[in-house]
Amino acid sequence: MTIRTRLTVWYAAIFSVSLLVIGVSMYSELVVEQRAKIARHLGGSVDEDAGTDITQIIFFYGGAAVAVGALGGWWLTRRALAPVMALTAAVEKIHENNLGGKIPYSGNGDELDRLTEVFNAMTTRLNESFHRIREFTLHASHELKTPLTILCGETETELRDESLAPAQHDRAASQLDELRRLARIVDSLTLLAKADAGQIVLATETVRLDELVRDNFADAQILAEPLDIKVKLEKCEEIFVRGDRHRLRQLLLNLADNAVKYNQAQGSVTMSLRRSGEMAEFTIINTGAGISPEILPRVFDRFFRGDPAHNSTTDGCGLGLSIAQWIVSAHGGTIRIASEPSKLTMVTVHLPLSAPETKSA
Amino acid sequence: MRVLVVEDERKTASFVRKALQAEGFAVDVCHNGDDALAATTATPFDGLILDIMLPGRDGLSVLCQLRERKNTTPVLLLSARGEVNERVEGLNAGADDYLPKPFELAELVARVRALTRRGGDNKSTVLRVADLTLDTLTHKAQRGDATIELTAREYRLLEFLMRSAGRLCGRMMILEKVWDYNFDPGTNLVDVYIRRLREKIDANFEPKLLQTVRGTGYFLKEQP
Repeated sequence: MTIRTRLTVWYAAIFSVSLLVIGVSMYSELVVEQRAKIARHLGGSVDEDAGTDITQIIFFYGGAAVAVGALGGWWLTRRALAPVMALTAAVEKIHENNLGGKIPYSGNGDELDRLTEVFNAMTTRLNESFHRIREFTLHASHELKTPLTILCGETETELRDESLAPAQHDRAASQLDELRRLARIVDSLTLLAKADAGQIVLATETVRLDELVRDNFADAQILAEPLDIKVKLEKCEEIFVRGDRHRLRQLLLNLADNAVKYNQAQGSVTMSLRRSGEMAEFTIINTGAGISPEILPRVFDRFFRGDPAHNSTTDGCGLGLSIAQWIVSAHGGTIRIASEPSKLTMVTVHLPLSAPETKSA
Repeated sequence: MRVLVVEDERKTASFVRKALQAEGFAVDVCHNGDDALAATTATPFDGLILDIMLPGRDGLSVLCQLRERKNTTPVLLLSARGEVNERVEGLNAGADDYLPKPFELAELVARVRALTRRGGDNKSTVLRVADLTLDTLTHKAQRGDATIELTAREYRLLEFLMRSAGRLCGRMMILEKVWDYNFDPGTNLVDVYIRRLREKIDANFEPKLLQTVRGTGYFLKEQP
């Protein structure tokens, strides 16, 4: 029950009770007392109608008064609660990316304005801490790049030294591999930090998604070949979307790479691209260990890696799916992942079709 | 070939200089933008390696000044920020290439080589390395008398390697020129393609042409 209904019911109830009290006192005052008086003085007959009249008046006009009171109460609470509803609607629109936005004051200088003020102060503080965390990640990844550049460069210089003993050479080469992995992690982190801060501008154009999917299919086949995994392209309709070509290719390659990496030998990867309402739907299914339901909701989390036993054999840094998710949402789409453990995993991406496409379809 | 390295980070400047010197370049080093402008006025360079973040006058401003003075020295921009917009901005300002930090040294050297040889590319329609030929009009590849079947991507990879025959090609450079990726996809795509290409052009033939430099890149060369 909303506050408004509750208040109205209470209002009507109190109104009825007070009417009843008035009615009873009127009855006793006018009818009972009069009757007694008349009986005392005249000892004769009494007009029985007066009592009935008053009961009628109370029930008839009283009912109308209660109805008017209830309606008035309804209107009154509505008026009183309107700022609360407005506040609720404004608060509902707030999420982590627009904490900077302020809720407007009603201007009545009442308790609700005080609440709005407190709420605005809270979101401002939250916004500042979010901002500080983003800035921190961004600065950290920038600051890491200079020493990384030096480490990579010096290790590579060392590797070029012909007089290096084979064992030393191997050690330097292995170090360089790890340094490059670190560099890739820092790169991904920078990308996500910038995306969070809204600093990435997409180079949007009309893109033929089916061409990108076909290209990606060819790359996936090559990636899958050494592991004896079959890659199939089930369906590939001609589809245009508005988007950043490089980012979309990054997304597709990322998903294909995952589908190959987390597969089993002699497994399969199946891709398809089709129209689904106003959206382009890309699905990629891979066989393999799958993902258990407990950890499924967390796979898009940064640095989240499902099975710890998996990590030693499969490289990657646990940022791939976070980046994929960012690319999809930056294009106004959605990405979902479903899995049947020890059977298959399916990733579905929906992207809005480009405008002329929607018209012709 | 004389190049100028403009980099305020001394250690970075030092190994870049070493690597370029090892490749036979004469290398000058500046640590800030104003010195760089002064140096380019005094000496004609064949190439400029320019860091964007410099104390005082930054790299982009140096580049703009340079182009304003009608100085057409090829410029390779380096940046730790690695923003896509920055790359576009740099190329629009007149840079010839852009490399985000941290870069691979081999990649840098390969790019500087390509930069300083600008215009000297092989324009012939039939590319040749030893007895391997590639017709860029018919897309036909042959090793000796044997015809080699190539997929579209393999063809582009081979064409790129043959056009830069004898020069080391880094993984990022290959990804950029053959795949048109301007990001590091973090996959071993290039290595797998190279392996396939090697099976086609080298497995049944002598001498082996496609060479790997571990951790740095690949090149096609007649000599082993």
